Amino acid sequence: MEFVQDLLTTFNFIVQGLWVTISVTAVALTTGVVIGIVLAIARVYGHPSLQVAVTVYSVIIRAVPVIVIIFILFFVISRYVNLSPFWAGALALGFASGAYQTEIFRGALQAVQPGQMIAARAIGMSRLQAIQSVVLPQALRLALPAWGNEATLVLKDSTLVFAVGVPEILRRAQQVSARTFEPFLAFGVALLLYLALTLITTQALRWLERRYRLQM
Amino acid sequence: MQKQTLIMLAFIAASLVMSACGGAPAAQPTQPTAQPTQPAAQTDGKLAQIRAAGKLIVGTSADYPPYESIDENGNFVGFDMDLIRAVGEKLGVEVEIRDMPFDSLIASLQEGKIDAVIAAMQATAEREEKVDFTIPYRMTKDAFIGAGNTTITLNKPEDAAGLTIGAQTGTVQEGWIQKNLVATGLTPADKVFSYERADQAALDLASGRLQLVLMDAEPALELAKQNGLKVLLITEATAEGGKSIAIPEGASDLKAELDRIIQQLIDDGTVMQLQDKHGLP
Repeated sequence: MEFVQDLLTTFNFIVQGLWVTISVTAVALTTGVVIGIVLAIARVYGHPSLQVAVTVYSVIIRAVPVIVIIFILFFVISRYVNLSPFWAGALALGFASGAYQTEIFRGALQAVQPGQMIAARAIGMSRLQAIQSVVLPQALRLALPAWGNEATLVLKDSTLVFAVGVPEILRRAQQVSARTFEPFLAFGVALLLYLALTLITTQALRWLERRYRLQM
Repeated sequence: MQKQTLIMLAFIAASLVMSACGGAPAAQPTQPTAQPTQPAAQTDGKLAQIRAAGKLIVGTSADYPPYESIDENGNFVGFDMDLIRAVGEKLGVEVEIRDMPFDSLIASLQEGKIDAVIAAMQATAEREEKVDFTIPYRMTKDAFIGAGNTTITLNKPEDAAGLTIGAQTGTVQEGWIQKNLVATGLTPADKVFSYERADQAALDLASGRLQLVLMDAEPALELAKQNGLKVLLITEATAEGGKSIAIPEGASDLKAELDRIIQQLIDDGTVMQLQDKHGLP
């Protein structure tokens, strides 16, 4: 009975970090989707110089640990732009995820058969129109499985934002563990919350995949 | 097919709108650029800044009870937390406490993200290069411990003369024994034993190989409780240094004011009272 009591108090405390984790992940993924789609289009259909620029961004960002990007944003960039810990952390995760998502969407765009573009141009669409209404809708469908994978990775990377003082699930677990000297209980609760979030995310994406599957 | 495409585009549009909201706070607060650059470059007048803001922003690492931790309701509690609130009261400003990892505290202070750090932090030479420290608000204390059934009584550290004594290698305590007991001829050198860890010395104490162990007071109390040992004397005389509040480098006005307040809180017994409240020796 005492265990149940402890479990409940621990859970009630840690679960307050759930919203922080969800917000950080949502901001990071949204930022990442926009960067990813725009850069992937630039990388596949853009001017050669633009293609080089995108490749450089993608290679450099993927080479740098996410925690370093967070520190740069929070300690260096925010000397000039006043970023709160939350925004510094979430945007840093977004920039990092953007580089990975660029590669995901690039692969998807390239997987759409070239005939689609040619056919769209043949019926008089401009290149932009063709990308917007023929190639991209197909590419987004193809990108979904890999994108779901990236979403779960970003969810777990959201633990890193604590380094600048954002109290998400893991930090709350650390705080309980320091107070109660029961690390197993505290981190067990954190594990269950991450598991639940991951399961919900993957289920939602699986539904999206089924909903928008191409009949080929 | 067309309908599905529309839904997909709506999805993209929605994510674009959301990210526009997401991007906005990054671009929008550009107007206070002058303010964040100030603390890093020019820290004089820091006290005036804090007074003007009416708020002292303090960083801590809330995972070190009884100094600082977070209770079930999410409040910052502990000796340091009570103390900094008392300091804020004397300063006439509100205290806002921010939790972050211990390793990020000094960097945050240097970048002006916080005004001060209170985290059971000791003013080491390395830290002194980056930030300034107030006078210690709590001196480090040592404890002499004996076996549970010991008949030894100590009134001052020198009463340990002639008894077999153990300490951890390379510690301040071992240095004190060598300097004050061995070098002065009070205790023969073969009655002094050095251990890799203090808890190993405590085991030899329990088994009767040692009569005394000299070590840091806080872990000593914990060890004594676990192993049924007796705390004979708690003293500042054998220890060095203490815990201080860290403030930005060169904030001389803030340091002067905090030093004055800390001295006042020590003198009027507030610090002693808070130590008792949190079970600190």
